[in-house]
Amino acid sequence: MTTHTSTIETVDKKAGGREANLGLWLTLPTQLLVVFIAVFPILMQLYISLTDWSPLDGIQWWRAWELWNTFANYTDLAADSQFWGAVGRTFLIMAICVPVEFLLGLGLAILFVDNFPGRKILYSVLLVPMMVVPAVAGYMFYMLFQSGGPVNDLLSVFVGYPVRIAWLSDPTLALFAIIVADIWQWTPLMFLVLLAGLVGVPEDQQQAATLLGASWTRRFFTIVLPRMKAIIIIALAIRVIENFKIFDTLFIMTNGGPGVATETISVYIYKITQQDLIWGYVAAIALAILIVLSLVSVFAIKLIASKEQAS
Amino acid sequence: MTQITLENLGKNFGSFTALAGMNLTIADGEFVALLGPSGCGKSTTMNMVAGMLQPSTGSISFDGRDMGNVPMARRGVGFVFQNYAIFTHMTVRENLAYGPKAQGMGSAEVTKRVEEIASLLQLGSMLDRRSGGLSVNILQRLAIGRSAIVEPAIFLLDEPLSNVDAAFRAVMRTELKQLQRQFKQTMVYVTHDQLEAMTMADRIAVMDHGKLLQVGTPLEVYNNPADTFVARFIGSPGMNLIDGEISKSDKITMVDLKQFGSFGPVPDAVLGKLKSSDGKVIFGFRPEMVELDSNGSLKMPVNFVERIGARTLLHLGDPDDNIKITVSNHEPVPKQGELAQFTIPPKAARYFDPQTGNVLRGEA
Repeated sequence: MTTHTSTIETVDKKAGGREANLGLWLTLPTQLLVVFIAVFPILMQLYISLTDWSPLDGIQWWRAWELWNTFANYTDLAADSQFWGAVGRTFLIMAICVPVEFLLGLGLAILFVDNFPGRKILYSVLLVPMMVVPAVAGYMFYMLFQSGGPVNDLLSVFVGYPVRIAWLSDPTLALFAIIVADIWQWTPLMFLVLLAGLVGVPEDQQQAATLLGASWTRRFFTIVLPRMKAIIIIALAIRVIENFKIFDTLFIMTNGGPGVATETISVYIYKITQQDLIWGYVAAIALAILIVLSLVSVFAIKLIASKEQAS
Repeated sequence: MTQITLENLGKNFGSFTALAGMNLTIADGEFVALLGPSGCGKSTTMNMVAGMLQPSTGSISFDGRDMGNVPMARRGVGFVFQNYAIFTHMTVRENLAYGPKAQGMGSAEVTKRVEEIASLLQLGSMLDRRSGGLSVNILQRLAIGRSAIVEPAIFLLDEPLSNVDAAFRAVMRTELKQLQRQFKQTMVYVTHDQLEAMTMADRIAVMDHGKLLQVGTPLEVYNNPADTFVARFIGSPGMNLIDGEISKSDKITMVDLKQFGSFGPVPDAVLGKLKSSDGKVIFGFRPEMVELDSNGSLKMPVNFVERIGARTLLHLGDPDDNIKITVSNHEPVPKQGELAQFTIPPKAARYFDPQTGNVLRGEA
């Protein structure tokens, strides 16, 4: 807020300061709204994260300073093995899902950039998973991966004897099932974004490369991919950020279990918020994540800006 | 260096015929311009030669080898696109090196070729610049260099000068012609600008509405247009065409041009070719061939005088359907509203069939 008043003051000294003043008054409601929905929660979180406050303490949140513990929440966080376990699993899921979704999406986009019979229908069908509510997708895969469910039935057909794998009760298989569900749901988004990028690659440049004797592979890596860089960065950034927040599907399928085998950051936060009720600590985690995700976004935006300057 | 043969070449897009029955042989090392207005099928022809489009009918062969099943990557065709299609995410050097690398040349050979072509096209000083922000004339040279570096047997240029300003176009016309002499390649040049075609090409192929109308040297096409379209399209301004009627009196056969007077005698060879019995004919002559003559058999009122430097262009007759003549400034030029009286040397008179538009050749 101080920056706002100081800018206004400097403008005020110059000609037209009165107009700037009017501008401030006219935009004030919106500015207050922004302060309320963005700045206020962050400041509140920062405040609470520096205390040992919990709703069970029986005092209002603004009196949390009575339970001031400075950086104790943050030092606890650094030593919290359950938190770091959740972080590790979140990154593991991301490290598998995002590349697989990217490669599948890119492959599909390459197939769909040329016309073929039935392209329009297939295109619509491919986009359906993206439209499904994540909780519904979670329910679908919960049913599919039951030990008496269709996945096992299908496997039984192939191996020739009844398969009864307890997908969601096995720590490794449960993680696998969640990754499958995420790939099913989010490959279409990658496909859609990458197809848009692929269509935007100038046709004549590809023809020029072909006439110079370049093979498909060479064209792809020297013309098509470099021209798609910005959109690839956008697609990856969207999925990295979204995947970091993975919750709905997973919560319905495994509830973070068995044990903590599929517990991601979001599930962990849910548990300590709803079950442990240590809100000062939750605030500290939330802020830490916000900082990490902001850094990812800033990095992506800088990367895109540099690519755009280059081309 | 390759001879290109187009045989009965045609292309349909759905029900639209972009090109039909094109027969043309382009000799080894020849510079042929495909000339015609937008939508005449010249670019379609070019794209089929390059292999970007598949012909609907007919065939294309290079040195007698049918190209029907040869993909464009292996035709050995250099193509300069109208907007140059420069790889703007690469440097000038990377652009030039693209072809040689794609064709698997060693890096020493690639470097050598890049240096050679860069010095030839005066691109040496900007080899390591990103090609995105270069000016149009440099992009143009780069586009030519990028195609020329792999020494294609055939060079196709698709209106490469349409994006540059008039002054630079004149420079590039000379430069392109010189480059062609250096590279000695068979060149096909698509343009709608007759000046480009006239100045650079060994032969011009005039096209309209998907048909090849006439092929010949620039002077042949200029002097002896095959039909009324070519007559009007070539030349600036184009040939004057006036509806006339053959009238026989005594021994001399004249063409009666109504209020414009008459001209004759009409050669017997023309009369022999004339099919319609009503004696209708289209009479044509180049604006440049006119001689002002107070005893001339042709006379028309001047309705506009256009001074174009050393010469003066007179618009004669009806403002909507006028004919134009150019006269030297040395002779007294008729003023607006006056009557211009002139004559044409018999050799310069052309006669066309009003039904087909084809020329009725007098001297042949």
